[in-house]
Amino acid sequence: MPLIQLQDVSKLYGFGDATTLALDEVNLTIDKGEFVAVMGPSGCGKSTLLNLIGLLDKPSHGQYRLNDKLVSRLNSNQAAKIRRDKIGFIFQFFNLLPKLSALENVALPLTYKGVTQTKRLKIASEMLDRVGVQDREYYLPGQLSGGQLQCVAIARALVNNPQIIIADEPTGNLDSGSSRLVMELLSEIHKMGNTIIFVTHNPELTRFATRVVYMHDGSIVHDESSTVGRVANRARKVLYTLPATKEEDDLAGVSLLMKALPIKSSISDRLSPKYLTKNNIKRRSKRKALGKQAK
Amino acid sequence: MIGVKLISSFRAGMQVVKSAKLRSLSLMLGIIIGVASVITVIAISTGIKAQISSQIRSYGPDIITIRPTSVGLGSGLVRGSDLANFSISNPMILKDIKTVSQATGVAEVAPLTLVSGPVKSSSGVYKPGFVVGTSSSLPNLINQSLAFGNFFTSSPANNGNVAVLGQTAAQDLFNENVPLGSSFTFHGQNFVVAGIFNSFNATPLSREANFNNAIFIPNSTAESLTNDTAPTYEIFARAKQVNQTSIVAKNIAAALDTEHGGVSNLSVSTGNQNIAQNNNILNLLTGLIAGVAAVSLLVAGIGIMNVMLVSVSERVREIGIRKAVGATNQQIRSQFMAEAAFISLIGGILGLALAFIIDMAIRASTYLTPIITWQSVVLATGVSLIIGIVFGTIPATRAASKDPIEALRTE
Ligand SMILES: Nc1ncnc2c1ncn2[C@@H]1O[C@H](COP(=O)(O)OP(=O)(O)OP(=O)(O)O)[C@@H](O)[C@H]1O
Ligand SMILES: [Mg+2]
Repeated sequence: MPLIQLQDVSKLYGFGDATTLALDEVNLTIDKGEFVAVMGPSGCGKSTLLNLIGLLDKPSHGQYRLNDKLVSRLNSNQAAKIRRDKIGFIFQFFNLLPKLSALENVALPLTYKGVTQTKRLKIASEMLDRVGVQDREYYLPGQLSGGQLQCVAIARALVNNPQIIIADEPTGNLDSGSSRLVMELLSEIHKMGNTIIFVTHNPELTRFATRVVYMHDGSIVHDESSTVGRVANRARKVLYTLPATKEEDDLAGVSLLMKALPIKSSISDRLSPKYLTKNNIKRRSKRKALGKQAK
Repeated sequence: MIGVKLISSFRAGMQVVKSAKLRSLSLMLGIIIGVASVITVIAISTGIKAQISSQIRSYGPDIITIRPTSVGLGSGLVRGSDLANFSISNPMILKDIKTVSQATGVAEVAPLTLVSGPVKSSSGVYKPGFVVGTSSSLPNLINQSLAFGNFFTSSPANNGNVAVLGQTAAQDLFNENVPLGSSFTFHGQNFVVAGIFNSFNATPLSREANFNNAIFIPNSTAESLTNDTAPTYEIFARAKQVNQTSIVAKNIAAALDTEHGGVSNLSVSTGNQNIAQNNNILNLLTGLIAGVAAVSLLVAGIGIMNVMLVSVSERVREIGIRKAVGATNQQIRSQFMAEAAFISLIGGILGLALAFIIDMAIRASTYLTPIITWQSVVLATGVSLIIGIVFGTIPATRAASKDPIEALRTE
């Protein structure tokens, strides 16, 4: 039984002419214990996908099953309870409450479960120990380094013993040393049996993943399983083209970033006849349908 | 479980207070002032009611008082007040006293007749003093005992140029506590002190002046000194049978009306009526001031609502984080409600403390003895809690309805 099952899931933002198709009939199945990296250029829908999986948001169309239970139409309270019990979030900007100590921040999710204060702080302290920042228990977020902040955030994500950890660019604000620390921590958590889904722009970090999903323009364009310890195949292509800043490129105005992201390959993918017939036709018909709706 | 919630709400409230110290203090000010004024007004009014009814009780509920309807209110609130503050537009005369004493069922009568003129003793003119003509029944009627000597009796032998003094008058006229047998001059005649009253109770808001300054002489003497022109501003009477008091009061009123040719410009009331009347006036006043205070509490409530709204908009990201880690809308709402209630409750408690300070100040500087009852303490606490909850509802609901993703995106 798969843990996460997305079936033709779409997400639309805005109305009428300003409508954005952030997710376009995505199908994705994730089993328990997978460590999934999500890659893709900015704006391709990675965060949208993670928010949907984390039940912070609802799909516009399609079905989402979590543990074989349909969760795509839950009300906000039901969703909150599933987030509380099954999902832990790690954010790029840490999202700790600045007026609470590290310990209180970690204990926060337990508050909403009705755990008593003493028990909360005890569990939170154990969690901080697990992520290696127990000596910073009484520090406020403002007094911690980025790496330490993310460790505290990871402790908070773990405190409710969730099945799924969702991390949207957890290393996006960290230097390479702290990034490694955070990813190693996530690896350990993964080894304990948790399912982890994370977004990254850094191909190197696919080394930690068991599977890499590439997105473009709201769709999953490539999905490969990868060996832990090795950079994923598709990501490696990006990695090795990365330092190639040629003078011609600068002159032609091609940004390094554009080259760095797996756009080129995905474009070639999409130009393949199979992709065109299957995906683009669907898209066109949907645009038409949307147009009609708008009228 | 509830305890845990309360404690965590309390801590959350502390955070708000800490984070917006000045702002919450300024909005607490509304609650503080509102609560303090409501409590003070109620305390003063309770105190006055207690004082008046104890005074009337000491006169006895079976005492009938007859007064002109238009006696100006003496300023009993001010220390050292005397009859100079009175304005009697329609004083009673000797005939009225007779009519009252001859009315059916009346047992005894004592008038209070004001005789103006300087009182001179060996130590000079006694200015704050005033001379009251009355009958031998007075001590019995107003339940006032003598400390020394005897009151004059109704027998003519004991009746003439004798006087009974209030304690202050005795002290001030002769510089001694027991000046029995001493004499003073009034209207060119010599008066001998026959007795000295025990101290009279303070009489706030009542029409009596401070009788401790008074010099009582027989009414017949008073009338003869002034050729029957001295104004009588109050007559006390008692019915032969206590249970007949209200009927006798009606008899007196009827007799006076007949005497005055059908014009009723005198009020006849019994002790019980007085209590009721005074309470009515006080309740009205209390209601009025309490109403004003309630408006100030309302304004304070709106202030709390505004600050909470600002606080919610400043803390959108926090709301997003809390929701992401599993807070339900209801839990977010409770948190903000608890914060509002907490701020308001603290304001209420501070207001209560202020009321106690004001109470002490009033006791120290006036004759009033405000009484803060436990009911008004409960009322203040309850009202401030309710204000917090009522005016916290809109901000809390707004906080609860934030979309988690948008909330997380805001800076
Ligand atoms: N609330 C919103 N209203 C309108 N459009 C939105 C909203 N949120 C996201 N979008 C659009 O949906 C698309 C996908 O956004 P998303 O945040 O998922 O991208 P992303 O892959 O996470 O990008 P990045 O790598 O920069 O974080 C973008 O085109 C974005 O403009
Ligand atoms: Mg994103």
